[in-house]
Amino acid sequence: MKKPSAVTRRQFLKESATLAAGAALGPYFLRNADAASRDRVTIFHSSVADSIHPYNHSSSPIYGNWQHVIEPLIEYDVGRKDYIGVLAESWQFQGNKWAFKLRKGVKFHNGATFTSKDVAFSIEKMRDEKGGSLQAPNFKDVSEVQTPDDYTVVFVTKQPNAVFLDRLDNRFMLSKEAGDKLGDKLFENIVGTGPYKFVSYQRGGNLVFTRNDDYWGGKAAIKEVIFKKVTEDAARLAALESGQADFINNVPDHEVARLKKHPRVRVDQLEGLRMFFLAFNFAFKPWDNKLVRQAANYSVDAAAIVRNIFDGIGYPCNGPVGANVLGADPKHKRYPYDPQKSKQLLAQAGYPNGCDIQLYYSAGRYPKDREVCQVVAAQMVKGGFRVELISQEWALFWDKQGVNGGRLPFYYIGRGSLTDADTLYDQYFRTGTTKRTNYSNAELDKLVEEQQRTPDNKKRVQILQQAGKSIMDEALFIPLYNLADIYGVAKNLEWKKRADEKVKAWDMKIKA
Amino acid sequence: MLSIRYLKLWVGGAILALLVVCGVAAPLIAPRDPQAQTLEDRLRPPRWTDNGMQAYFLGTDNLGRDMLSRIVYGSRISLMVGAATVIFAGIVGCTLGAIAGYFGSTADEIVSKISEIFLAFPFLLIAIAIMAFLGQGVGNLIMALMLSRWVQYCRVVRGEVLSLKERDFITAAKALGAKDAYVIFRHVIPNTVASVTVIATFGMAIVIITEASLSFLGLGVPVHIPTWGSMLAEGRSYINRAPWLTIFPGLAIFITVFGINLLGDGLRDIFDPKLRRQR
Repeated sequence: MKKPSAVTRRQFLKESATLAAGAALGPYFLRNADAASRDRVTIFHSSVADSIHPYNHSSSPIYGNWQHVIEPLIEYDVGRKDYIGVLAESWQFQGNKWAFKLRKGVKFHNGATFTSKDVAFSIEKMRDEKGGSLQAPNFKDVSEVQTPDDYTVVFVTKQPNAVFLDRLDNRFMLSKEAGDKLGDKLFENIVGTGPYKFVSYQRGGNLVFTRNDDYWGGKAAIKEVIFKKVTEDAARLAALESGQADFINNVPDHEVARLKKHPRVRVDQLEGLRMFFLAFNFAFKPWDNKLVRQAANYSVDAAAIVRNIFDGIGYPCNGPVGANVLGADPKHKRYPYDPQKSKQLLAQAGYPNGCDIQLYYSAGRYPKDREVCQVVAAQMVKGGFRVELISQEWALFWDKQGVNGGRLPFYYIGRGSLTDADTLYDQYFRTGTTKRTNYSNAELDKLVEEQQRTPDNKKRVQILQQAGKSIMDEALFIPLYNLADIYGVAKNLEWKKRADEKVKAWDMKIKA
Repeated sequence: MLSIRYLKLWVGGAILALLVVCGVAAPLIAPRDPQAQTLEDRLRPPRWTDNGMQAYFLGTDNLGRDMLSRIVYGSRISLMVGAATVIFAGIVGCTLGAIAGYFGSTADEIVSKISEIFLAFPFLLIAIAIMAFLGQGVGNLIMALMLSRWVQYCRVVRGEVLSLKERDFITAAKALGAKDAYVIFRHVIPNTVASVTVIATFGMAIVIITEASLSFLGLGVPVHIPTWGSMLAEGRSYINRAPWLTIFPGLAIFITVFGINLLGDGLRDIFDPKLRRQR
């Protein structure tokens, strides 16, 4: 006979299931009610960290994540268009030497003092490609790192290198003492000087940091930071709207209008550093003809693309680079949209009945690339071209068979983290740097090389502007636009918008 | 012939006939050029809604192209790919199946092993792999779908032939001195037509859906040719803001597949000897 007081198996299962469900869902509802709590900020980000090795990547957003814990000597300030010191106080460029004076009184999270030995140690780790670093090429022309005293570091380069600061940007410093003690396990517990201490890393890309109360730059406002990697746009958006996340990046532009109406969420947007353009390959006809290149420039209406495809959330380029790039010149003007002029130029160039071209792109790589290329094709048809659109897999498009092997005649591409016009000019238009355009012009090469040797930034900018003018006059490519970086932020969270895709929790505050 | 028994056949046939007319006479039916972009009029809702424009009956897409015209032109690709695949796959599959079933032994071994290899992979996966290898294009698409569909016909025909070849009329034909090829094409294959027709109609529905899936994945036809699958793919990111971009191509696929399935069902009812006896 069954005892009436005994718990039946079915009852037991039912109740334990309820308990388990409660335990699993409870924290979720709690977080929901308490978005952007005073002590903690949860950031859902499309790229957090692919591995715990802090040098095993070269990606701007990931630099920002690691910068919570480990810090660079210097950092590029997009707003000021100049470098500012972080762990370095001052620097000097003399011949083939770059000398840095380090900040005094900076302590690592393990209590050790930051000195030039830590810099030498970290650079050595960054150059260790076998050890997993992807940042070694930045130091390929550095022949020696000297440490004459505790607070001086001298980089000796094979040739004078005026753009060395750009290579040193985002190179973060680890503790030598921790390295000596931990040996191979150094990268399991990252010790740096940053405003936050490392707590944990989960495979798949979640990072947890806790505040460093003894930070040399002053204590951060928020105690705990959680970076969670969520690659799907819709999932990040849903998390923000439900209060699971306090901050997300890469809000799709067509969701902006809807998100702006949300009661607890704000949209922050600013001009990004990825510039989109259409590149010609000079090894292919008809792009060796200046008149045809100019015709192509007249036939593409970048403003209409931004207005219609990106809902106006974008910034058409008015010259060879965006306005936020070092070397931009307000005097540069893009070729106005004028399909009639394009047809005239084509006729002059010997194509009175139009000209057949192929436009390559890699669908899905960049926001709305399919739509953009279809619009470009339709616009160019009005300008007298006959356009065939060809989409390729990214690997095929980008590798030796494609762009980097100089095999594609005309393609749609974006160049990310573009803060300095030198990067673009060197990569696309200087003889022999890459095969992307197969362009060669001794005069332009001279300008590019000259500015790379010029220590005075003002003079450098002038030379870059001169190079930019010749690039526009020769119509070496079709500059299109920069898109916006769009962030979704809980309304009670304040932060400083940055154009370099870094999200810094120590610049964040929670409003009461 | 108009009895309720044939309702499925008539409705299915009517839908398919309508689509064929639509595809063949697309330039006459479509109000606009399916490629013409009017960026200022992008994302207009259908005519009968508040913001609809007189000019665009089903609204416009993300590049300001007329949805109705694109759907009408899209039927061409769906039907052409569907029909061509079914015909080619049918020819290849039936021939190989008949050879395997009729001759048995080594021929059967070889054909069966090859078809088993094809059957081991999911159908869509084979199609994706072949498309990735061949590249975009209508011809390549038909080729990829055919290579992944012929097995169905082969298996069914082989089974049928195995039982047919033991039948008295085949023995009689052979006894009269008929050559193998004559027996296969004159006596064996005509007797498998009923089942092949049924598989072919259902197969066409599957092929149309696969074409849409491949186009959705960006592996179908080149971007400038409108297809229902690529329309769905492009409309997907606008589903909150402009649901008509996905609803109408989705409906078109649904109605087509529904019609073809009805037709297949109706045909099966006619060919099925058990159902025929009940008449």
